[in-house]
This record gives sequence, C-alpha cells and structure tokens, in this order.
Amino acid sequence: MSNLVGIVLVSHSLELARGLADLASQVAGADVRVEPAGGGPGGSLGTSGDAVREAIARADRGQGVVVLADLGSSILTVRHLLEGKANGHIRLVDAPFVEGAVAAAVVSSAGLPLEDVAKAAEDARGASKF
Amino acid sequence: MPAVPASSESVVLPEGVALHARPAATFVKTALRFRSRLTVGSDGKVADAKSILAVLALGAGGGTVLRLSAEGEDAPAALEALASCVSGLVE
Repeated sequence: MSNLVGIVLVSHSLELARGLADLASQVAGADVRVEPAGGGPGGSLGTSGDAVREAIARADRGQGVVVLADLGSSILTVRHLLEGKANGHIRLVDAPFVEGAVAAAVVSSAGLPLEDVAKAAEDARGASKF
Repeated sequence: MPAVPASSESVVLPEGVALHARPAATFVKTALRFRSRLTVGSDGKVADAKSILAVLALGAGGGTVLRLSAEGEDAPAALEALASCVSGLVE
C-alpha cells in the first residue's frame, strides 16, 4: 500500500529522530513512510527547517503527513515552516514523541485517514505503560 | 437503536509469542478494520484492541489466555478475525 499517511519525526538529535523512525517502522511495518528530521547544521543539536521540509516531502504520498516534534524550539521550527500553508494536509500534533510516533505509525499502516492518525498520536498522551 | 449485546471469546496466545511490538501491531491492525468496539483482556486488565499502546501495556506473554470482546454491528466478524489473527501470530 503506498497511499498511507506519512509520519515525520522532528528532534534536536538526529540519532533520536532516526532511532525512533526505525522503532516505529519496525512495529508498524515498512509500508508506512516514517521520516526523521533531526539535528541542526553540521550535526549539531538543533532543528533545521530545511531538514523538516525535505522529510515532509519524502513522507507525503498524497494522504497527508502527521508531524511530531520533541521539545520547545523544534515545535517553533515546524510552525514557522507551516505558517501560511495551513491547509490541513500537513498536521503538527501535540503528542508524546515516542508513544505518539508508534501509535500514529500503526494506525497509518491500517490505511486510516489523516484525522485518525493524528488522533492516535494525540491520544497517546493518556496511555499508561503498564 | 436497540443495544447490541457484547459478545466475547477466549483465545490462547501461541507459545513463545508475546503480544509485543510486531505481533501486537498485527493484532491492532486487524482490529482497526472493524467498526465495533473491541477489547482484549488478559490477567485482569482490559485494553482497547485498536490502541497499540494499550495492547502493549497488557504485557501478555506466550500461552496467555486472551479474552476478546466485541460490541457493534460487525462484532461477530471482528471476533472471528481477531481470534484467527491471535492463533496465527508469530514472533
């Protein structure tokens, strides 16, 4: 299935974004595009609007993209990028990074629409671990 | 609308297959195909069968009895699909 909702993971750390993308893909299966956008210029800790833009382009298969960000300024980077193009197709969600990414990837892998994938990520906030 | 009574069924997780990561995702993906409210219970805990995080939190190990419940218009088909999914799970 190629027309699944994409997921973009924005982190201050490239390793964190890549590791979480790997985890979410391993759980949900390889059909879902889970794209990392981590780190600042030259591998420093930070976030880069260009990296986020490229990750969104890679994740977008036409059904929309859910974007999760780790902390503080990574949210600002995404918001800045999406400013003026809030058509609802690219959705920044307020969700816990790890749990939200895994929940969103699994719901996307079942072929559900953007609205359901975004809700799965946001609902992850209330989930107990045990 | 008349209330549809919940139906349920018990299935055993295959030996050596825990309901974690990929097996849990396979289970949840099956549940997401249905409209009914679906739950899975194990060891006194009950989880929404459509939530990967809730299913992972059950921590069900191989050989565990899972209690599947369904409530809604497609409940019989959902129960059948989930039971068959559980029996066929592999690591």
